[in-house]
Amino acid sequence: MTGRILAVVPALNEAATVAAVVAATGEELGADVLVVDDGSTDATAAEARKAGAVVARHPFNLGVGVAMRTGFRYASRHGYEAVVQVDGDGQHPPAEALPLVARVLDGEADVAVGSRFAAGSPPYAVSVFRRAAMRLLARRVSRRLGVTITDATSGLRAFGPAAIDRLADAYPGAYLSDTVETLLLAGRWGFTVEELPVTMHRRAGGEPSAGGLRSSYHLVRILVVMALFDVRRPLHAEWGR
Amino acid sequence: MRLQIVVAVLALLLAVVVVEALRRRRLSEGWALLWIGVAVAGLVLVLARPLVDRLSTSLGIAYGTSLVFAVGIVFLVVVCINLSMQVSRLNRRVELLAEEVALAVAQPPTPGQPPTPEQPPTPGQPPTTDDPSPPDDRQGRRA
Repeated sequence: MTGRILAVVPALNEAATVAAVVAATGEELGADVLVVDDGSTDATAAEARKAGAVVARHPFNLGVGVAMRTGFRYASRHGYEAVVQVDGDGQHPPAEALPLVARVLDGEADVAVGSRFAAGSPPYAVSVFRRAAMRLLARRVSRRLGVTITDATSGLRAFGPAAIDRLADAYPGAYLSDTVETLLLAGRWGFTVEELPVTMHRRAGGEPSAGGLRSSYHLVRILVVMALFDVRRPLHAEWGR
Repeated sequence: MRLQIVVAVLALLLAVVVVEALRRRRLSEGWALLWIGVAVAGLVLVLARPLVDRLSTSLGIAYGTSLVFAVGIVFLVVVCINLSMQVSRLNRRVELLAEEVALAVAQPPTPGQPPTPEQPPTPGQPPTTDDPSPPDDRQGRRA
């Protein structure tokens, strides 16, 4: 069962869609599929297992970022050469991840980001506030990395072996940090970050990760994180000690 | 005037302590933002003293400082209740986690075999892949 590619599917109460996502991901990417059930109260884990995925289960909800860290630790322990994140709600068509995975397997990039807003991606509708926030974050990340990133908050990303080992230890779990701060970390570690255009669906079901006041808080929070990025002690898994 | 200087100094000190704790990762960003907000509120109080006096008079409170104390106490009670709830939740989660770990390493005896742990592996049988000890992912990282 151990191939070179691990698709990590963070899932929270996605019993209706997870089986299809697992099947499509395994088939189209030729990847082993790890579903990280982030404290679901429905049959997500059972459905995923039935569809042929390995299932890791959080005993309570910890968020997408922590679910991904669980995925990176699994990949690191089992020696996978590429990790690709595919959301359990069907927002990421697995075939779109293929070029990203190819880039990291070829060693051309350590991190390959699928962008909804790059030249070549079809229009992706988001609210004005959201779009402005995404632009701001993308610009700041681009300036730091010295690479043009148009979609810093994209969840559709592939990671190579060096990135997997580093992120298994220090993947930031908080909302927005999981995407934006990870890119900054990649820059700090001297990794090559590359962006490719992708097509993403609107979420099939479920709510967006955050609305009005909450997303303002998350935006302020990530701006603080970015402002202090150079002076903060690095986060490691054992930081709680 | 002297009171205002003291408040301003305390507010700045609070801001410094909070940012340093954030830098050392002793404090999460959410709580840090809250306490930075408190520091900013302190500075605003210093700069807008007349505003506080006018507000307290309109509320029928003789001294502006009393209003600040009242608001401060209510705020601290709210923070404390919030913290108690978070500690309770953490407690529940630690219990649940300990149970999950305990169950993960508990192995029922294989049917048809005596439940002795030092059983030599039977020839022709695949070796057990289950490692009874929890894996240590930090192995080798510190060396």
